[in-house]
Amino acid sequence: MALYFGDLLPYSSLLLEGLWTALYITLVAMLAGSALGVLVYLGKVGPGKPLSILCTCYIEAIRNTPLLVQLYLIYFALPALGINLEPVWAAVIGLTLNNAAYTAEIYRAGFESVPHGLREAGKALGMKPGQIVRYIILLPATRNVFPALTNQLILLFLASSIGSIISLPELTNAIMSVSNTTYRTIEVLAVGGLLYLGVSALMSLASKRAETTLFRWAVGTHV
Amino acid sequence: MFRPFEWQDLIPLAQGAWLTIQLCAVSGILGVIFGLILGIARTSPSRIARWISTIYISCVRGIPVLVIIFFVFFGIPLLFPGLEPDKFASAVIALTCFAAAYVAEIVRGSIEAVAKGQSEAADALGLNYWRKLTYVILPQAVKIMVPPGIGFLIGLVKDSSLVTVTGLLELTHAGNIVTNLTGDPIKTFLVVAGMYFVICYGISRLGRLYEKRTGVHVDPLKLPEPAGI
Repeated sequence: MALYFGDLLPYSSLLLEGLWTALYITLVAMLAGSALGVLVYLGKVGPGKPLSILCTCYIEAIRNTPLLVQLYLIYFALPALGINLEPVWAAVIGLTLNNAAYTAEIYRAGFESVPHGLREAGKALGMKPGQIVRYIILLPATRNVFPALTNQLILLFLASSIGSIISLPELTNAIMSVSNTTYRTIEVLAVGGLLYLGVSALMSLASKRAETTLFRWAVGTHV
Repeated sequence: MFRPFEWQDLIPLAQGAWLTIQLCAVSGILGVIFGLILGIARTSPSRIARWISTIYISCVRGIPVLVIIFFVFFGIPLLFPGLEPDKFASAVIALTCFAAAYVAEIVRGSIEAVAKGQSEAADALGLNYWRKLTYVILPQAVKIMVPPGIGFLIGLVKDSSLVTVTGLLELTHAGNIVTNLTGDPIKTFLVVAGMYFVICYGISRLGRLYEKRTGVHVDPLKLPEPAGI
């Protein structure tokens, strides 16, 4: 079997549009999901017992079921209740709700990794409560959480491919429709795979760069 | 046209769940075998072995599982004419390719987490590379591998739902079929989600039990994130 990539050229804009859709859905879901994740985390560790149980149930339910089934529930089950969603909205809502549970757990791990002794040390040094929260809890926790969050961004980008199953016109969907029209299955899967690989490699490179510039103050220290 | 969701609809769903468990068991075991080889190659002194494994691991980790599944399902019969694995076999091949790369990262992380003094002590005793690996490093690394490995297994169960695109009758696809029969996606997919939850939560409980028994606890922020969303 001879490989021939020429047949794909007329479809390159379709593939790039798919990539663009995948990227923007990922970014929206990442921003909305990590903001919602803060609320879920605060609800879980907060003083309200029923709210805390509710948030724990939410996190466990999302983390122990596949994203595909969650998307099916949003895309196929909600219309039965009279709520019809476009594939884009179903995918954005599904990825956001999913991401919130994962980021909430990342925040928990990040805050738990700051030892208690540090807060007491801050108090002993005469720091004000605001200063303690800012310099002793938030800054080190952000530093600890940052690599896991950027990793989550990459996982979310790869997971956006699942949107193709609910007919969201993103990259995987574009790959399969080009494959169905040109019959150049191997070639288009190779090109599409390289697009995914390239973008996730760029994301991981950018996050390493960002980590070294943002947290230069922390080089060589470990909290 | 549709009939209501009844208790006998649970039978195809339970059969689907059983196929999901079989699929994950087979590809999990194969993934651990290949992942161990890749992970050891990733940390080996041989530069070629390191390169090959690094390229494989980063390629697979940078591509969605769904694309890997399509590649195996449509690509193998095209690349190797005459070879047409059935749906279960293609699903196992795809999930094994994917699992091996993620397990390899866990293996690498665990080998690197073994205290450096252990490796130096083995060198000082004059052990060669393989003896050092099998007698000193791996026995300690295996204990560290288990908690992230459990996390990965849960990811594998969840990602196995994507095999539904090949038409293999696993749990999610069974859910689709029952929905088409009953026209009741709410009940059907809530039951499907519940079944996944039981499988995944059960695995994570086993992991907690292991951590409690052995006292091995691994900081989730320090190891490669498990795959699967």
